[in-house]
Amino acid sequence: MIATRRTRTRLLLRDGAALSAFGSVALSGAVPVWAMLAFFIAFAISIANFRPLSGRTVWSVVVLLLAALLIFGSVFRGGLDLVVAACSFATLVTAHRLLSEPTASTDHQVHLTSLLTLAGGAALTGELWFAACLAAFAITSTLSIGLLVLEGPVRIEGDLPVRPALQRLSLGVGLALVGGVLFFVLFPRLSWNFAARRSTPGFGGTTGMSDRVRLGGGGDIKTSPRIVMRARISPDPRVDNLDQYWVGRTFDTFDGREWKGNGVEQRARGQVFLEDGQQGMVQQQIELLPAYGARTLVGLQTPVMFNNAVMLQTSGSQRTGLVRLEDEEVHFADGANSYTYTAFSRPSGKYSGEKELTDVARYTRLPETVSPEVAKLAARVVGNERNPFLAGTKLADHLRSNYGYTLELPGEVADPLADFLFTRKEGHCEHFATALAVMLRTQGFAARVAAGFFGGERVGALYVVRAGDAHAWTQVFVPGRGWETIDATPDAARSTQAMLALQWLTSTYEALEDWWRARVVDYSFQDQLAIARALVRPPRGAANDDAPSAAPTASVPPLRAFVAAALAGLVIFFVTRRVMRSAVARPHPAANFLEQLERALRRAGIARLDGEAIEQLAARLASSSHPLAPAVTKATRAYLFARFGGKPVASEERGRLLAAIRPAT
Amino acid sequence: MFRRLRSRWKLPRTMIITRVGRTYLVITMGVGLGALNTGNNLLYLVLGFLLSLIVASGVLSERSLRHLRIRRVLPGSASAGEPFAMRYQVRRTSGRSFALELAEENSQVAGMVWIPTVAQEEVTVRADCVAARRGPLKLKGLKVTTTFPLGLFAKTRVLDIEDQLLIYPRRGFVCDEPSEREGRLLGDGGNPRRRDGTGDVLGLRELSPGEDARRVHWLKSATAGKLLKVEREREDTRQFMLDVDEDLTGEALEARCEEAAALSQRLLLRGHEVGLDTGTMRLRPASGPGQERRLLSALAWVGHEEAGT
Repeated sequence: MIATRRTRTRLLLRDGAALSAFGSVALSGAVPVWAMLAFFIAFAISIANFRPLSGRTVWSVVVLLLAALLIFGSVFRGGLDLVVAACSFATLVTAHRLLSEPTASTDHQVHLTSLLTLAGGAALTGELWFAACLAAFAITSTLSIGLLVLEGPVRIEGDLPVRPALQRLSLGVGLALVGGVLFFVLFPRLSWNFAARRSTPGFGGTTGMSDRVRLGGGGDIKTSPRIVMRARISPDPRVDNLDQYWVGRTFDTFDGREWKGNGVEQRARGQVFLEDGQQGMVQQQIELLPAYGARTLVGLQTPVMFNNAVMLQTSGSQRTGLVRLEDEEVHFADGANSYTYTAFSRPSGKYSGEKELTDVARYTRLPETVSPEVAKLAARVVGNERNPFLAGTKLADHLRSNYGYTLELPGEVADPLADFLFTRKEGHCEHFATALAVMLRTQGFAARVAAGFFGGERVGALYVVRAGDAHAWTQVFVPGRGWETIDATPDAARSTQAMLALQWLTSTYEALEDWWRARVVDYSFQDQLAIARALVRPPRGAANDDAPSAAPTASVPPLRAFVAAALAGLVIFFVTRRVMRSAVARPHPAANFLEQLERALRRAGIARLDGEAIEQLAARLASSSHPLAPAVTKATRAYLFARFGGKPVASEERGRLLAAIRPAT
Repeated sequence: MFRRLRSRWKLPRTMIITRVGRTYLVITMGVGLGALNTGNNLLYLVLGFLLSLIVASGVLSERSLRHLRIRRVLPGSASAGEPFAMRYQVRRTSGRSFALELAEENSQVAGMVWIPTVAQEEVTVRADCVAARRGPLKLKGLKVTTTFPLGLFAKTRVLDIEDQLLIYPRRGFVCDEPSEREGRLLGDGGNPRRRDGTGDVLGLRELSPGEDARRVHWLKSATAGKLLKVEREREDTRQFMLDVDEDLTGEALEARCEEAAALSQRLLLRGHEVGLDTGTMRLRPASGPGQERRLLSALAWVGHEEAGT
């Protein structure tokens, strides 16, 4: 590879390393926008092979120093986190070096500042993509430095065998990555993981569960495959698709266009009870991800209690209070990127046993704008049924059978409910839920709209909920049982409508992320002990020697013992073979050439006599004026030089010598 | 005693941390401290990678220093304080080496050569070296250093390849020109009749029998009707005998040797014959490049006679 191309490759690899390192902090969302802009502009200019700061070192360094003063002054004033400030400054230095004359020292500085940025990224995030950034940095940085070292202190214009060097460097990167993993697994953890920052703003919220449900517009969110929530449920339902309602908010007031809640805010507490506790409650350890984008707590229908709320921010995690808006929602007292909390829900099939509502008018009130046709339709469907639940079920069946589900609802209409029921006759979950609630109210039944999610997909030991699982449904009050859910939305349209391929991708990523969190981010001394115990634990049954003779199957070692033994055997086999091979005298490198020469001679129909050496054969051919005599003599001489003169035959020359014998065949 | 112990316990490889390597180690230590203090597992992961990279770097650099076959090709002549070309024939018996630097272990010889890569085909490389002092120089160890793969450490292996190089005295010594009278005129060099030099034309005379016909001036001979020979002025060749006092030692001896080397070079260049008397050795006056080599060689050995025996 010639010098200019080699240098270009090296610089591209260097820039790639800088980008990988910067990616580790940039994707955390903690880096200020100006630092991101500075880096990406410098990166783009560097990729274009333009170095505007060449020869302008002094003033550019002065600017850097001023930037350092501003950044760390901001830290002093409490405006910027120290780690974020250090990463931002390292980013600026990297950008400065990228735009400077590319020399060996500049390249090294780029790699070292990138390494600092990467370390900052490790401190700022705990996400899976950090592993990708680390691997990318390891590969590009090592290859770039390797090429730099290969070029050495003097500029070599000619060709250099870059490929073998890159192969050797790749081996080094592989060794380093494997060694890094081994170190990670085996190095004793002597302290708690108290500084890990597990939450980053990511790409912002998607669901944005708001304090009102407004009819009209499309339902784009239903096609989003983004995961907004993870939950560990106890007792474990052990099903792949949970298909349950996750309640976030309930709305009691409808003004003809939108639903609102009228809950009275209570003061923040550590835990909030919505009902009296019951036996066999379903516990949920819930993590609301940054994609959730709201402060409302959700829980499996019907939540009874929330507690242990922790908010996660880029600066760390801390407890937060819970604020209850009675009969509307529970939300976190403080804003954060994401949250974790525990929810307890009433087991399915159990009811609150509430006999009557204290404020019936609140749930039967109708806006004046509601068309009288709605009441007529409801009366026709309900007939004489006075049981609220059965009446609601009749209405829901009617809606499901006669109305279509669609996410395409262009344009604004004056009366969206009448438009849905009598004109368009298709809508999404909010239309179905509103229609059912309003129709129930027209018949004097207390009803409200609930918003949250429907679904729950198992990934590992957790259930995940996607943004597309966002849903609205109706609750009707049944005296003696409490609020009961009736969903008028067609079954197939309740959960996410995202593309299957996207769902598969996000599920796979989630599974990887789950593994990453469990095996890497939360890896601890306990895990190390568990690994050690698993390695040294005796076979089952061996510990209890006093027990009567165990069944033959109990004394059989576990499968992992066989696997470990097989692996150990393989390692010993390969090591022994390697040692034995190195102990045995290797054939001289020229012997291979002699074999090739003999094969070429055989193909040419020239046979060696018994005990005739190759040089004797060449002499015999020369004396008999054989047409191949010059070529054979030349090849023989090359072999003798290689064998006894210490002058190896280069592969090209070897091919040429043998080819000279072949044409005559 | 200490030297003997050190040579006995000499490590097979030596390693120097480069400037970049020092910064790398500082960052690694910082990451390590951060990981230990905070328990952040991702910092442990980065630390593991950084430490493993050091180990991998050691493994790869070791592979670069193995299976090397190197032979010195000594220069025809080398003078103290003047650059001379030292050549090395390098090859690998198997595999390939990268980023090698060859230098003599003997600190009397400065200079190195950089080789980007070495495979099984033999390559000859040239190092521009400078020897500090005259005399027989024993070359024993050849330092092979590599910074491959990451330039963090310079790992050195010393190959035992014994050779001896005779370093001539420096010839740039500033000294007075010897007076023409100090030199003795050679043979009939002082005979005024001997005018068969190559200098200015002195005149024409009739060619005597047996004289070289190549000196005939054909144009004038044709005019005169007889063979005329051109006579040209001849520069006188003198004999000089340089001496180095047997009793001189140390810097005085060095200075005298350098002076003698400088003088001999100048005199020989003018065509004079130069000889040398060092007390222990005497060289008869002679001229030509062969004599210069003999003189310089003799001067190089002065004071180092026991090393040659």
